[in-house]
Amino acid sequence: MGELRRYFDDIELGEEYESPGRTVTEADIVIFAGLSGDYNVLHTDAEIMKQSIFGERIAHGLLGLAIQAGLFTRATQAYATLAFVGLRWKFKGPIKIGDTIRLRAKVIGKKEIPKPDRGLVTVQRSVLNQRGEVVQEGETDLMIERRPRP
Amino acid sequence: MTGSYFEDVPLEHVEETPGLTITSAHVAIYLGLTRELAADGGAVPDVLPLCFTTGLGWRVPKPPLVVLAFMGLDWQVLRSVRVGDTIMSRSRVVTKRPMRDAGVVVEEREVVDQRGEVVQRGRFTYLVAKRTKETKA
Repeated sequence: MGELRRYFDDIELGEEYESPGRTVTEADIVIFAGLSGDYNVLHTDAEIMKQSIFGERIAHGLLGLAIQAGLFTRATQAYATLAFVGLRWKFKGPIKIGDTIRLRAKVIGKKEIPKPDRGLVTVQRSVLNQRGEVVQEGETDLMIERRPRP
Repeated sequence: MTGSYFEDVPLEHVEETPGLTITSAHVAIYLGLTRELAADGGAVPDVLPLCFTTGLGWRVPKPPLVVLAFMGLDWQVLRSVRVGDTIMSRSRVVTKRPMRDAGVVVEEREVVDQRGEVVQRGRFTYLVAKRTKETKA
């Protein structure tokens, strides 16, 4: 599968991708609460959340972030990623149980660095719900391998 | 509701969580949930330690922050984490900005491994409830 990965040299500035949708279920939220240990009432107490501005339990922000990372792998051919370097992220709106989210992504930066075998790629990402509202958005920096020179 | 409200949050107070050993079970559950792809058998997806930091805070014996909304984060991954590593999280509040019914709290957070090395770090921004008549201390 190694040959199918796209190197720094193959990725073009301005490339855009859109992922399939994924419906976020109550089970996703329960599993994420168990895995992360984050049992904040926002995600786990249906009664208190009825009184909140959201009206019901909402997904963990980081669950949305984690799901979009998975959606990215379904939106485009895999990058030859060496490392995930960092991100700048905003949570703009709630993801509720039953919402279907998808990822829209665009390559907005390509930077050569002193190391000759790799480069930095910045991807702008928006997570949209079924109404087309942006619920999360931000930028991620990825260190990508360069095509090996013969 | 019991919890730490905006008024209760101390500035610059360093809080350390207990540790968590990351197992292949954590990674398997995470990969099944997100459908991210693992690099190799012992690799821990980079977003997973970030996800653990929010839960590790819940193991500190104090009333949890009354978060109205998680607004955003800036995050850096400094080195990779492997299955078998034990991480803990260290945090402190660096900014408090009051608004009418709530306040913005900015927290600096680090994930530290068993060798004491910072593996990830960044800033979390939360909207936190203020005390009302019913929840006066």
